[in-house]
Amino acid sequence: MSDPVLHASGVCKSFGGLKAVQGFGVSLQGGDLKGLIGPNGAGKTTVFNLLTGVYTPDEGKITLAGRSIAGIRPSRIAAQGMARTFQNIRLFGELSVLDNVKLARHVRVKHGMWASVLRTPASYAEEAEIDAKARELLALFDLADRAEEQGKNLPYGDQRRLEIARALATNPKVLLLDEPAAGMNPQEKKELRDLIRRVRDEFKTAILLIEHDMGLVMEICERITVLDYGKTIAEGTPQEIQANPKVIEAYLGTGDTGEEGDQKPEAARA
Amino acid sequence: MSGANLQPGLHRPSTPAAIVRAWAPVLGCLVLAIVMQLVVGPLLVRMGQDFAAKLLLDIGTNAILAVSLTMVNGFTGQFSIGHAAFMAVGGYVAAGITYYGSYRLFGSPDLAAGMLSTSTGAGSGLFTKGDGLFLGSIFAGGLVAAGCGYLVGLPSLRLKGDYLAIVTLGFGEIVRVLIQTQTTDTLYDPDTIAQTPAWELPKYLGGALGFSGLPSYTSLFWAWLFAALTILVAYRIKASTYGRAFLSIREDEIASEAMGVDTTRYKVRAFTISAFFAGCAGALFAHTVGVQLNAGELGFAKSFDIIIMVVLGGMGSISGAFFAAIILTILPELLRNVAEYRMVAYATALILMMLVRPEGLLGVREIWEKRTWRAIARIGRRGTP
Amino acid sequence: MTEKLIQTLMDGLAVGSLYALIALGYTMVYGILKFINFAHSDVFVLGAWMSYTVALCAGWPDGQPTHMATWVLLLLVGIAVAGGLVAGFTYWRRKRIAPAAYTLWLVSGWGWVAVLLVLLARLLHQNGFDIIAGGVILVCSMLTCGVVGFALERLAYKPLRNAPRLNVLITAIGVSLFLQNLGQLDWMFGTRPQGMPQLLPDKVLFNFAGTPGANPGEWLVQPVRVRLLDVIAAGTSIALMVGLDRLVFHSKLGRAMRAVSFSERNAALMGIPVDKVVSFTFVLGAMLAAAAGFLYSQKYPGLGQTAAAVWVLLGLKAFVAAVVGGIGNIRGAMLGGLLIGLAEMFVKAYQSPSVVDIYVFGILIAVLLVRPGGLLGKATVEKV
Ligand SMILES: Nc1ncnc2c1ncn2[C@@H]1O[C@H](COP(=O)(O)OP(=O)(O)OP(=O)(O)O)[C@@H](O)[C@H]1O
Ligand SMILES: [Mg+2]
Repeated sequence: MSDPVLHASGVCKSFGGLKAVQGFGVSLQGGDLKGLIGPNGAGKTTVFNLLTGVYTPDEGKITLAGRSIAGIRPSRIAAQGMARTFQNIRLFGELSVLDNVKLARHVRVKHGMWASVLRTPASYAEEAEIDAKARELLALFDLADRAEEQGKNLPYGDQRRLEIARALATNPKVLLLDEPAAGMNPQEKKELRDLIRRVRDEFKTAILLIEHDMGLVMEICERITVLDYGKTIAEGTPQEIQANPKVIEAYLGTGDTGEEGDQKPEAARA
Repeated sequence: MSGANLQPGLHRPSTPAAIVRAWAPVLGCLVLAIVMQLVVGPLLVRMGQDFAAKLLLDIGTNAILAVSLTMVNGFTGQFSIGHAAFMAVGGYVAAGITYYGSYRLFGSPDLAAGMLSTSTGAGSGLFTKGDGLFLGSIFAGGLVAAGCGYLVGLPSLRLKGDYLAIVTLGFGEIVRVLIQTQTTDTLYDPDTIAQTPAWELPKYLGGALGFSGLPSYTSLFWAWLFAALTILVAYRIKASTYGRAFLSIREDEIASEAMGVDTTRYKVRAFTISAFFAGCAGALFAHTVGVQLNAGELGFAKSFDIIIMVVLGGMGSISGAFFAAIILTILPELLRNVAEYRMVAYATALILMMLVRPEGLLGVREIWEKRTWRAIARIGRRGTP
Repeated sequence: MTEKLIQTLMDGLAVGSLYALIALGYTMVYGILKFINFAHSDVFVLGAWMSYTVALCAGWPDGQPTHMATWVLLLLVGIAVAGGLVAGFTYWRRKRIAPAAYTLWLVSGWGWVAVLLVLLARLLHQNGFDIIAGGVILVCSMLTCGVVGFALERLAYKPLRNAPRLNVLITAIGVSLFLQNLGQLDWMFGTRPQGMPQLLPDKVLFNFAGTPGANPGEWLVQPVRVRLLDVIAAGTSIALMVGLDRLVFHSKLGRAMRAVSFSERNAALMGIPVDKVVSFTFVLGAMLAAAAGFLYSQKYPGLGQTAAAVWVLLGLKAFVAAVVGGIGNIRGAMLGGLLIGLAEMFVKAYQSPSVVDIYVFGILIAVLLVRPGGLLGKATVEKV
């Protein structure tokens, strides 16, 4: 087996007294597609924030392509090949759809700002390349005819796809998707599923996916990690996860309280 | 997938074409400035509109200030309310250089200017040694101001929004008070000046009374040259990948950082560049005819004047800032007829503007973008935006 | 040496309590609406000038009466009549009196109270109860500024409640310019500086410490002088601050204010009348500023024109006090005010008056860099 592109182990984070993530570990290779599930507030988004450097882990190791990234600033982690989408969409609303994607290429730009101001031949060349790449990605995500629109004017589903396109434009080795299907209708979800697979196959990116739609997760992820109250309670293939009593308990609550989890793995499989 | 819609987009020019496209606009700036100085200025004077010529000069300086502030407040969405301080720094540095430099180099503080630096466009030669000194002083003023901009940008590591704004304000006031209290009266005697070592001269910048007796080099040529260059640089930054990086910080700092933009570094950069041009504007302002350089006038209130231009023009719009600079330079003069009600009317207009058109004249658009004209056409048809 | 130290300390507390009073207005508005009300310091200036005007109307001799009084009266009548017209018109068209009419009547009613207070102050002054008359003038000036604060919020800020913050800020600057320049018009206060009449006797309550010289009244080391004026100023400020603190933290209205400050939208959903709470906050802030203006004019009787740089700088320092304490935090404003007042007096006494501002703004920057939310404030973190 080759070395993993993303490897994390023993990652912990507390907010005051709340242990949001405890002893989290994950290992991804290029082309892997892994799911991260858990009830609301389990700490999934916090894991993403730790991996991308938004929060600094209290403990634990995170390496990206063999280099430690724990505690360095998000922009440098992004430059080293980690990209993400956000649970609550964070597009550059006033910028055009095209510019949203073009911005993401910025991290790969080689010419300096003075070259841009002086408009050196190199800057022309790179701008043209950025433009071409961005349009290519927009075409792949079916957003090409909306290229000139402002990001904030897109319908919700398109905004989610644009976020993925934008993340991909940074040429990531690892792509973190935070609930990409939230707010999509079944048709859009189906398209999204195909899209994620395609991205994985074409770009050979390792993907870590947070999703509450169990149907989607079970269908496309090879392996799944389940979080509950910050702890990893299960890890395995979709079949193993569905059969795991701990997972069922986490989602449905312990019998006598009769508390209802908002997503049921069993039900969603139907 | 609509692969058919893969438009050609930007194409890459050949190297010679690229060089021409890169430098022609710079030449254009120079030509514009020369035309302003040698054609428009004298024409206005000939028509008896001396005052218009003076306004035109002020417009140039104000345009630099407004456009440079746009880079911080408009592009990166940071909020600087101490812009006039950079102007003061640039102004005083440049003034010190031209005033004492003239004494040391030419023996007197008189204007040693060519055609490009006199208000009438008359003068001996196109570009004299005095002009050289002045140009050097502008750059020196800009650079020192840029250094200050760098320092002011640094707190943006820790502070956001209003708090950063307050720090810029504090910085501005400190600069003002420092200049007013830590410098003393200007030296007038050539012998004393010749004997004072160069490193002690910065002490004699006029203090609370202001720095007077400066040679008035600033002409339509210089003002418009720098205005045009500022606009060109701002435009090129905005239209490039670096501009997108700046704008993305304004739109969503967290997403921007996640996409690999080192937001702190870019914020500091924005402050530095913006301060550089503000410093240049300060240098031009200091050497304008009829201006008595005084730090007391480059405080808080002046900073607000510049912010008002930026907001009136539309946050992030270069052309908007430019038009706002024009309007807000002329408007107070028009209101001069109503003398004592002038400022009250101005304030009322400002409040009404915010109530009626909060996004400013152009919003985030630029005058050269197609969507602006579409919007204008729509207003023309329907009477509403 | 100790004498000088204690004296400076006391001066610092006296000035600091004035700063704190102004800072409270900045902080309350910021706490609730998250914007810096740059016009607040102009309300403070207005408070000082109103006190002056009212004092003249009440018959204090020194100084020239302005036309203000007549104008105020006319304005009040005008507003009342306007309210009547609006009421009549809306009742005629819609069989319902528009709320605007009530607002106008409220404003004018408030004004009539002010007129009565002026008469009362006059009466008291004529009968020699100067200190009480001073109190009445204080109340009168506070009422007037309260109305101004109310009107400003309703007319200029309320329409922008959901606008980008920069717009609100520019509006505040506009309002500030408006007040400054309106005050300079001839029929307002004019551009000439005026001397505030001495309403409260500025006598030394008692001396302590110090080394007396050979002759009586001669001192080798100056003693600590406790002045009546400083005691009244500090006492009034502290009383107002304690009252405000109780209001905000121990009353239903205060709870509503804190709720609105936490989330305007959620407060509205919980049935809190947000508009009223916001108006109330502005009125309260303006009244405190007016009180500060009154006290300030007693301590430093030379009133500069309303747009004078001195005023602007003073307001700015009060604002710095609010930020240093942690803007949005009421106790922070008090702490910040005292801190800035002390810093100012100590620098004045031990270094040079001309560098005070460098220290004040230096403290501001240093505090913000170490504690980005101010001394008592909390820096907010955005959840991703
Ligand atoms: N910056 C923060 N400060 C304090 N607590 C936080 C912070 N970020 C997250 N938390 C807390 O950590 C816990 C985990 O939050 P997180 O957002 O990671 O959950 P999640 O699994 O993504 O839930 P959801 O499915 O609702 O998105 C929650 O209790 C949340 O309130
Ligand atoms: Mg989440």
